[in-house]
Amino acid sequence: MSFEMWAEKYRPKSLAGMVDQKTIVERLKSFAKSRNVPHCIFAGPPGTGKTTAALCLARDLYGEGYREHLMELNASDERGINVVRETVKTFARSRSIGEIPFKILILDEADNMTSDAQQALRRTMERYTETCRFVMCANYSGKIIEPIQSRCAPFRFTFLPPEEHDKYIKHIAEAEGVQLLPDGLEAIFEVCGGDLRRAINTLQAAASMNKPVDAKLVYTVTGKASPADVQKMLNTAIGGDFLGARKQLRDMIQKYGVAGIDIIRQIHKEIFKMAIPEPLKIKLAGITGEIDYRLVEGSDEEVQLSALLAKLVEEGSEIKKAN
Amino acid sequence: MQFLYTAWTVKHKPKSTTEIVGNPSAIKTLSEWLQSWDKGVPKKRAAFLYGSPGVGKTVTVETLAHDLHMELVEKNASDYRTEDAINRFAGLASQYSSLFGGKRIVLLDELDGLMGNADKGGVKATTNIIKTARCPVILIANNAYDTRFRTLRTYCLLIDFKNPISSSIAKRLQYICEREGIQADENALKFIAQRSGGDVRSAVNDLQALAQGKKHLTYDDVSWLAYRDRQESIFNVLKMIVYGRTSYGAKQAVDMADVDIDMLFEWIYENVPAHFTDPHDLAQAMDALAMADVYRGRIRASQNWGFIRYVIDYMTAGVAMARQNSTVQGWIPFKFPSRIMMLSRSKAQRALRKNIGLKIKRKFHISVARAPTEVLPFLRIIFKNDVHKAVGIAKWLDLDEEMIEYIVGNKAKAGQITAFLH
Repeated sequence: MSFEMWAEKYRPKSLAGMVDQKTIVERLKSFAKSRNVPHCIFAGPPGTGKTTAALCLARDLYGEGYREHLMELNASDERGINVVRETVKTFARSRSIGEIPFKILILDEADNMTSDAQQALRRTMERYTETCRFVMCANYSGKIIEPIQSRCAPFRFTFLPPEEHDKYIKHIAEAEGVQLLPDGLEAIFEVCGGDLRRAINTLQAAASMNKPVDAKLVYTVTGKASPADVQKMLNTAIGGDFLGARKQLRDMIQKYGVAGIDIIRQIHKEIFKMAIPEPLKIKLAGITGEIDYRLVEGSDEEVQLSALLAKLVEEGSEIKKAN
Repeated sequence: MQFLYTAWTVKHKPKSTTEIVGNPSAIKTLSEWLQSWDKGVPKKRAAFLYGSPGVGKTVTVETLAHDLHMELVEKNASDYRTEDAINRFAGLASQYSSLFGGKRIVLLDELDGLMGNADKGGVKATTNIIKTARCPVILIANNAYDTRFRTLRTYCLLIDFKNPISSSIAKRLQYICEREGIQADENALKFIAQRSGGDVRSAVNDLQALAQGKKHLTYDDVSWLAYRDRQESIFNVLKMIVYGRTSYGAKQAVDMADVDIDMLFEWIYENVPAHFTDPHDLAQAMDALAMADVYRGRIRASQNWGFIRYVIDYMTAGVAMARQNSTVQGWIPFKFPSRIMMLSRSKAQRALRKNIGLKIKRKFHISVARAPTEVLPFLRIIFKNDVHKAVGIAKWLDLDEEMIEYIVGNKAKAGQITAFLH
């Protein structure tokens, strides 16, 4: 019996083992072969292999002892300028021992870094290029400041196409002895939209029910797996109950620990599914964008998001008046 | 076993002058004066201790009597309301030695209590006792310069008790916590001490109210206390902001508030919805608060406190000017910021969630911030459904019992899983 989360167990260990992102992988392989790596930006949606590619690259470069030459930082947790000034700098400037003269610093979720921290990072990158190469993983490369972008080789990761996705999930199901029915596999792709990490987690959670994994089971699992019922909250607000909506928001943040960034991005998705006038959707999308930006810059999650809820209450009352 | 309630002000009352917080020179003066009686009746036969409540006047006398092995005869103002009553005690003061050969101090406490007609003659009688006293008489009052004490004062050695500084009070609180087996955060004790404004007794009372029965006292446990007795004034400030008619008036409110800007923000943020009934006004007001919050963020990022003026503009004038159509009928009470209470209550849970997040991060290459959405929900399902897989994953992630219980949200199930862990 395996004792790991499958998403980790089946994470490729080498670039050769990566299923998709073929052109990217080819280029990364050539970096590993020539033993030279530029600063990189890996941009793309979650679960498409950015972190995996960075880890594989490091392992292919340094071999099994790769951990000694590697540092992983996550900007969502350490996004302040002090981290750049201290942790990053200390790591970046110390010389590497071994055949390869530089180390690799993986900066995950780099788009959640404040612009000040990015400015500081830019100088560090420049100064210590000889001893350290940066791999920045981000959902949106646009959130990374121009001067950093221009110093990096860009790589755009895309969602796995259905056939690659299915192949991989089926492979895991077989290896783990899970009976995965065709409609179950389809449902996983539909729900996770090509986010492989989420897909594997969903499969594992569904498999834990010890039943054949069909579509119904997948939907049950994903229903349970979303602590943030964003849709319900938005409807409460549109219906005019501001305090009720704010209470739901507060529970998401405080009780379930859902990050504000995740809530705002889910709101953005839900807006376009709502039964509201089309022009309003665009207006609301603009507001979510502004709030998204403010959150990245360090504003208070609840205060910012409840301003959006109040806006929804207002728009909801306008719709009622119009009818 | 039965536990009786004992006030900590009694339980942890100083036994010796060395334990008293502050006022070393006042204590020394009094001690020297008391000892001078051994060489005969001094020029001033009474000492008049004065100072704010709770600074340690009475306890100084009590501990000095103990340290100097003197008998203390203590009378409160309530015991000697009239001249007649006081004369009955006069005899006590007429002899230096008590019946049993010990030396004696006569203490008249709470002299401020002698007021009005009912106590007519009380001060005069006291003065007469002092004039002929054969043993040290000590008087205690909050204000020695009350005009009623004008004559009395001239017969007394005046000793001023100052308010002890908060760091000394905090030290005493720390000592009490140690004796009670409570681990207390330094800033929590500092906060209680500061808030007491030099009143050691009230500080100890507050400490007991907040800490008794706890193992650990944190800043969050005490910080809300500041607002307990200031609600009256905060209500007026909120009224000026939420119902302000001019920008200037709303902005003025900040100067009147004796809470800091962040806390005032929370009060406004809590109360805006109930007082802005029109959806348009509400949206405007919440938008103003969001902007105030943006500037708070800019202050943090740039450390430029000059931006505070924009925070204030938005959270006061911005909110006040949002009112266009909202009418409120009757009086809606202002509420304490519930978010603050919830935050302090959920602190332990948040810490636990963060620790689980760190464990996940170590193995899973995902941020602590994302773990609650990307990993935890799936773990929860697996843990609930399959004990054996849960055990394996718990081992792999190195989760402890508390973490497992948080994930499954069920004590019995968590017990099943942890049973296999060892």
